[in-house]
Amino acid sequence: MLATWKYRPRDTFIQSLDPRTRLIFLFCVIFGLSIPQIWDYRIIVPIFALSLTLYFIARIEWIDVRRAWIFIIVLVIFIVGLNALLSGRGGPPSVLQTQSPTLFEVQFYIPGTKLGFTVPITIIKLWFAIVQITRMLTMAILVIPIPYTMDPNIYGVAFRRMGVSDKISFAMDLAFRFLPTFARDFATTVDAQRARGYELETLKGGIAAKLRRLAPLIIPVVMQATVTGEDVIDAMDLRAFDTNKRTWIKELHYSSRDQIMLGLGVSIFVACCLLKWVFGIGGFFVPRFFFALFGY
Amino acid sequence: MTNKSIWVFGTRQVVFGAMGAAIYGVLSWTTQFLQLPAAGNVSFRPAVAVLVFFGIAYGPWVGLLAGVIGNTLGDALSGWGFFWNWSLGNGLMGLISGLAMPMINDFRARADLIKGITWGTIGIALGMIFASLTEIFVGGINLNTAVVGYFLPAFLGNFIVILVLLPILMTAFAGVAARRGR
Repeated sequence: MLATWKYRPRDTFIQSLDPRTRLIFLFCVIFGLSIPQIWDYRIIVPIFALSLTLYFIARIEWIDVRRAWIFIIVLVIFIVGLNALLSGRGGPPSVLQTQSPTLFEVQFYIPGTKLGFTVPITIIKLWFAIVQITRMLTMAILVIPIPYTMDPNIYGVAFRRMGVSDKISFAMDLAFRFLPTFARDFATTVDAQRARGYELETLKGGIAAKLRRLAPLIIPVVMQATVTGEDVIDAMDLRAFDTNKRTWIKELHYSSRDQIMLGLGVSIFVACCLLKWVFGIGGFFVPRFFFALFGY
Repeated sequence: MTNKSIWVFGTRQVVFGAMGAAIYGVLSWTTQFLQLPAAGNVSFRPAVAVLVFFGIAYGPWVGLLAGVIGNTLGDALSGWGFFWNWSLGNGLMGLISGLAMPMINDFRARADLIKGITWGTIGIALGMIFASLTEIFVGGINLNTAVVGYFLPAFLGNFIVILVLLPILMTAFAGVAARRGR
């Protein structure tokens, strides 16, 4: 059975946009932050505010996105944020190469022994963690609404009308459609294995042992996918897929609001590139007010 | 799979490319809590074994599609954004692993398991070299960071993953394929 995203038609500005506009806008923001490596809060915060506004006007019910949000918050704040705070990794090299006052030290020692190490938490690492969290949320906030607000029937045609080949468009369409199915299968497998006494939270042992213990979760999902794949191939062959030039029933048209959003997206991308590569603005730095906050 | 022509791109490749991408995306997303020690943007991905497996079982196009689309989906779902060079590196990983497809006759046989691991290792080495070295231009890092901070942890992590999980996947697949008769 094919599970679907919790898509629901709503009378909102977001859902009135052409799917290509939304995808291109998303790519513009992601590319704008990723390609020129923008780490400057003065650029990130306005884009974050824009993403947040678009998210709220999508009017997605909290009950639908609650799990996605919990996951994103746990990942971004507790895993990525703590990783950035403790190690300073995952961003520009200047985070680790620049000297900065230490706020406090975290001790990682085996109790009763002198085995372990001390991690200094510096102002630069703290600021980097905040910027990293904001930057990731900016992109995540734009991605989260897509499954809930974009009709799964138009993924393929949207990519096709963006100039991608029929086969690749169909592969993208299928990948998007099967994503929630496999996510559900994975969750079901985890539940089924737990019912048999599998303890996911206590994956003990070294890396190899941990990996081996993940096999009962991964193998059923992958093997089920190979079986499902054969059925999908049969169904597509019966419908003469790949025998002649393909047509798509759904027509897509840009409206004036699409052009405005596309203009905004392209402007963000171009502005990020120009600011970084022409004017040298957009790199990582710690603002003075943040130092002042801690009395430096 | 009886037809060993690895460069055919038809319905089979489209479907399994999409399936591989969706599974790789989902598993990358759900298992990313395992962060590689000493690696910058690199997370420890048990899902890499699935990507290599799809390449070996269904050929280089499937591996390429699964790697490029799957990594993009996984990163997008996690909020990492889009890193074209890492997505392409993952695609290379799947594509090169897929070159082993015509050499594998019995997914349970020890010799074929070794071939799978060998090609998978070549795939992850070249894929991660590509991604790490392009990070010099994309991320502004130096060669030392690219090799020591990115390539080595990513390669070693992925190597351990395929060493442990790929034989299990291939052996399980042998049973499924035998039952399906394809």
